[in-house]
Amino acid sequence: MSNADRISEYIVREFLPDLTPSQLPHDQDLLGDGAIDSLGVLKLIAWVEHHFQLAVGDTDLDPENFRSVAAIDAYVARSQSAPVTGG
Amino acid sequence: MTEADLHGETANAVLRWAAKIPDAPALWWNGAATTYRELADETAAVRARLAERVPPGATVAVLDAKSPRTVATVLACLASGYPALLPSPTLPSGHLAAVTAEAGCRYAYTERTVTALPPGPAGGRAGAVPPGTGFVLTTSGSTGIPKAVPLPHTGVDAFTRWAADAFGIVEGTPVLNYAPLNFDLCLLDVWTTLAHGGQAVLVDPAVAAGAPRLLGLLRTHRIEVVQAVPLFYALVSAAARAEGGGPLESVRHAVFTGDVMPEQTLADLAALAPTARLHNIYGCTETNDSLIHEIDRDRPLPSPPPLGRPLPGVRVRLRDSEGRLLPGPGRGELEVSTPFQSTGYPDPARTAEKFTTDPADGSSGARTRWFRTGDLAETDADGVLRLVGRLDHQVKIRGVAVNTAEVERVMLGHPDVLESGVTTVPDQVEGRRLIAVVRLDPGSAATSLDLKRHCSARLPRGWVPAVLVPVREPLPRTGTGKVDRRALAAMLPAAPRQPAAAVGTGP
Repeated sequence: MSNADRISEYIVREFLPDLTPSQLPHDQDLLGDGAIDSLGVLKLIAWVEHHFQLAVGDTDLDPENFRSVAAIDAYVARSQSAPVTGG
Repeated sequence: MTEADLHGETANAVLRWAAKIPDAPALWWNGAATTYRELADETAAVRARLAERVPPGATVAVLDAKSPRTVATVLACLASGYPALLPSPTLPSGHLAAVTAEAGCRYAYTERTVTALPPGPAGGRAGAVPPGTGFVLTTSGSTGIPKAVPLPHTGVDAFTRWAADAFGIVEGTPVLNYAPLNFDLCLLDVWTTLAHGGQAVLVDPAVAAGAPRLLGLLRTHRIEVVQAVPLFYALVSAAARAEGGGPLESVRHAVFTGDVMPEQTLADLAALAPTARLHNIYGCTETNDSLIHEIDRDRPLPSPPPLGRPLPGVRVRLRDSEGRLLPGPGRGELEVSTPFQSTGYPDPARTAEKFTTDPADGSSGARTRWFRTGDLAETDADGVLRLVGRLDHQVKIRGVAVNTAEVERVMLGHPDVLESGVTTVPDQVEGRRLIAVVRLDPGSAATSLDLKRHCSARLPRGWVPAVLVPVREPLPRTGTGKVDRRALAAMLPAAPRQPAAAVGTGP
C-alpha cells in the first residue's frame, strides 16, 4: 500500500466513513470543501506524525500542506527525505 | 455630541503611550515586537491615506487579515472618527457584500489602499451606523448572513476602563489575544491592553491550531491575562501534558467565554495555571460582557459554571414564556442592559425585535434599554444564575453561533436530500460538535463529501457539520411532526474516538 493510499484510507475512515477510499480523489480539496474542519486538521496532523514517525514543526503547520491527499503525501515525502527540524 | 463622544478616548489613550513609552512593545506577532512609536507612525500614515479619500464620519470596512498593521488600521479609523467595520475574514463574498450594504459602508481599506464599494441593492440606509460609533462588529443573523452591530465609542471606553481595572492591565502587562480582530473579545485583549500601555501578544490565525505553539506563546511572553473560548484551554492543556513542562506561573487571570466550559477542561486549566484567577464571562456581541463568575478554587469545580454576577452598571432579568418578568427562582429568557451595548442594528425592524425599552423606569426618568439575548437561563433559590441553552435553534460551536435550522435548510436544498436533521453532541475536546443526519433519495449516490461540499459553498465556515451521516431510512419525528433532534445522536455510527489528550500531540 502506498503512502497516498494509507492517507486516503485514514481520511475516509475518520472523516467520511460512508465513502470507500477509491471515492476520494487525491486532489480533492479537503479543507475548502468542508470534508475536514479545523479540529479535524489537528487530528490529521497527529495521525501523520504518529503514522509516519515525523514531527510536524510550527513552520509546517501551513494548511496548504494538508489540503489534499496528494499534498499530504508530498509533505510526508519531503519530511522523510529531509532532516527533522521540528519545533 | 462632543468631540470625545465622536472619537472616543480609547484611540487617544493608545497614542498617548507612544509619547510616553515610545520604545516599549505594544504588539507581538510571531516573535517580533511592534513598539508604541511604530504603531503610532503606521496609524498616522493610515489616517493620512483615509483623509484623502474618505469623507468625515463615513464607515470604513477593514478587510486585511489579522496583523499588527491591521491593528494600526483599526486604530486609525477610531482616532479619525471613522466607524471601523470588521467583517470576519472567512465570510463568503456574497455575505461580505450584504453586510457592507446593510451598514451603508461605501469604503474599504485593504493592502494600504482605500477602495470605493459599489452601493448595495438596498443602497445603504442613511443613519444605519449612527454618529459616535467606534466599531461595527458583525454577528451571525438567523439566516447565516452576518448582521452589523454598531458599538458606540462611549460603550467601548466604558468597557476598556472596566476591563483594565478588573484584570489589572497596566503599563507593560502581557495579554494574549487568541480571537480574530472582528470578535468582541478583542475589546479586552487588544484594545484594553493598548489603551493601558500593555503588550498585546497576537496569535497568528495561520498557527492558531498549533497547540504547542500556543503554549509556547504563553510561556515565552510570560502572559499574565488570557481570554479565550474553552477549546483553546482544552488544546493548550493537552499540549502541556504531552510536553511535560511545569505549570504556567505567570498567568494571573484566565477568562473563558463564548461556550459552555467542559468540566474536564476547567479542571485541566485549574491545574495548568495554578495561581490564576479563573473567570467565566457571559456576553453577546450586541451588549459586550454582561456577567462574570469567578471560580472558587477552594470548592468543588462547578459544572457548568454559573453565569455569575452582573458587571458594574449591568442589569439582568428573566422573562418567562408568557412574557412576564420573573420575580424569583425560575427559568426564562435572559434580558440584559449594559453600559457597553450597541445602539441597535441597521435594520430598525430587527432592532425593535431584539432591543426593548421599558415604558417607565423609576423616578429618574431614564428609560432602560434591554437586549433580548435569546438565551434561556434559570435562577435557583440562592439567586445563582445558570445558562440552560438557546431559545431558538442557535447553538454555539467553538464560540461561533450556528443556526441549526439554517443548516438543515441548506442541506434540504441539495436535490438528493429528502430530510435533514442537525444538532450538537457533547465532545470532550470541542465542548459541542455539530452533527447532521440526512435522508437521501433511494436512488442517490451522494456521499458525505458531496454534502459537505454543498454546505461549504453556501454556509459560513464553522457551520458545516463535522459529522455528516447519510441514511436511507426516515428520520425520527416528534409528536408535532418535527425532526426529533434529540434522537439523531443515536443514528451516528459508533466510531471509536481518540481521547482528548491525543489531539494535536500525537496518539
